[in-house]
Amino acid sequence: MRLRLKFAWLLALALASGAAPALAHGVTVEHRQVSSVELQARFDTDEPMANAQVLVYAPGNPTDVWQQGTTDDQGRFSFTPDSSQPGTWEIMVRQAGHGVLTTIPVADSTSGGEPTATPVTVADTGANSLISPSAALSPVQRGITIGSVIWGFIGTALFFARGKH
Amino acid sequence: MQRNLFKAFTVSALGCLVLGVLTSCGSEGPTVTAPETNETASAEGETGTLLIRANGEDFVRQGFTTKDGWEITFDNLYVSLADITAAQTDPPFDPEAGTELQSKAEVKVEEAQVIDLAEGDDSAEPIMVSEVEAPAGRFNALAWRMVPAESGPSEGYSIWMQGTATKEGETVPFTVKVDEELAFTCGDFVGDERKGILTAGDEADMEATFHFDHLFGDGGAPAEDGINTGALGFDPLAALAENGEVDVDSAGLQAGLSEEDYQTFLSILPSLGHVGEGHCEEVTLTTS
Repeated sequence: MRLRLKFAWLLALALASGAAPALAHGVTVEHRQVSSVELQARFDTDEPMANAQVLVYAPGNPTDVWQQGTTDDQGRFSFTPDSSQPGTWEIMVRQAGHGVLTTIPVADSTSGGEPTATPVTVADTGANSLISPSAALSPVQRGITIGSVIWGFIGTALFFARGKH
Repeated sequence: MQRNLFKAFTVSALGCLVLGVLTSCGSEGPTVTAPETNETASAEGETGTLLIRANGEDFVRQGFTTKDGWEITFDNLYVSLADITAAQTDPPFDPEAGTELQSKAEVKVEEAQVIDLAEGDDSAEPIMVSEVEAPAGRFNALAWRMVPAESGPSEGYSIWMQGTATKEGETVPFTVKVDEELAFTCGDFVGDERKGILTAGDEADMEATFHFDHLFGDGGAPAEDGINTGALGFDPLAALAENGEVDVDSAGLQAGLSEEDYQTFLSILPSLGHVGEGHCEEVTLTTS
């Protein structure tokens, strides 16, 4: 028996407050946009890790829990990393004697402030994962591919245009 | 003219093929880079002491009830450990990502050792395996092999389980001797505390954890729980008893168990090794 944990996470742009700034009886509501991380933990059987303990550790401080909570009944949990603490954030999810530790790199706030997905740190990007494997082409590769396809079309057109002997 | 056009097409088609292959090769999955030069503990750098322990958990120390109702207690549970390696990795090694462990620094326990996970009383601490001088830093990966012991009480076997099983008034002494070789690579410890954080001049724990409930199941968990649906239980072993006692090795298991039960047994072995609650990748038996 192998209770492997599938662990996936995605990034979401969330609003700390959905309401526009408003005034009512001297109360001020402000909002700002923040980048949050939503993760989902589940067993290899695809059963969600419902109500599992979640411990979040900020970069450079692996001993003090930065935030803790529990997953919902679908094994989901979200949090908003402090973008002023760039580096590798660690998230530990534990339930019934089984646990998983995953890492999420968060970029410096001066370089955009949004966490960057690094699939290598994701435990298992299976078919039901919320994150897709890293299969994107580089700009150079994409250009070569497009050029090859166009050149192929030209060659094909010339072939059919050559007529019969 | 037409012949030239046809040549042009042929060249273009070949060009497409070559370029297509090149680009598809460039988009393959995770790239494994060459290992960096490993550092070892030296007198020049700041070092501390890693205390490497092995833990069979309460299932082994206190006994437990199997999924099929047998009360199990262990007299001895020997595991033969070799090539124990603690490593600092950045980014942290993820054993379930299918990538190779790349260490920034690592230390090894040179000698193979046989550890009795059942040593001590019910509240015994995890068994000390070795103390190793190591460079200060964050040790967040652990690897080890389980090989047939070269000497000692479990000579010839990587795992030796000896104890007593009791059910409905029947008591069956058992000795199960496993000679399959296993190798585990694991990431960071997952548990109540963080381990492997070594500061200069100080000590830090690391732990190889063994989940033998995966083999026998857990009577305290629901029957449909994954810990039980994938477990062998003790009934198939009890059926191998002769003169009221089970004494069987790997060859005897293969010969005596049903094909389904034997395959279940083999499939469980790679899941025995953990780091606390964190899972490991088994890289020997699963690839043989």
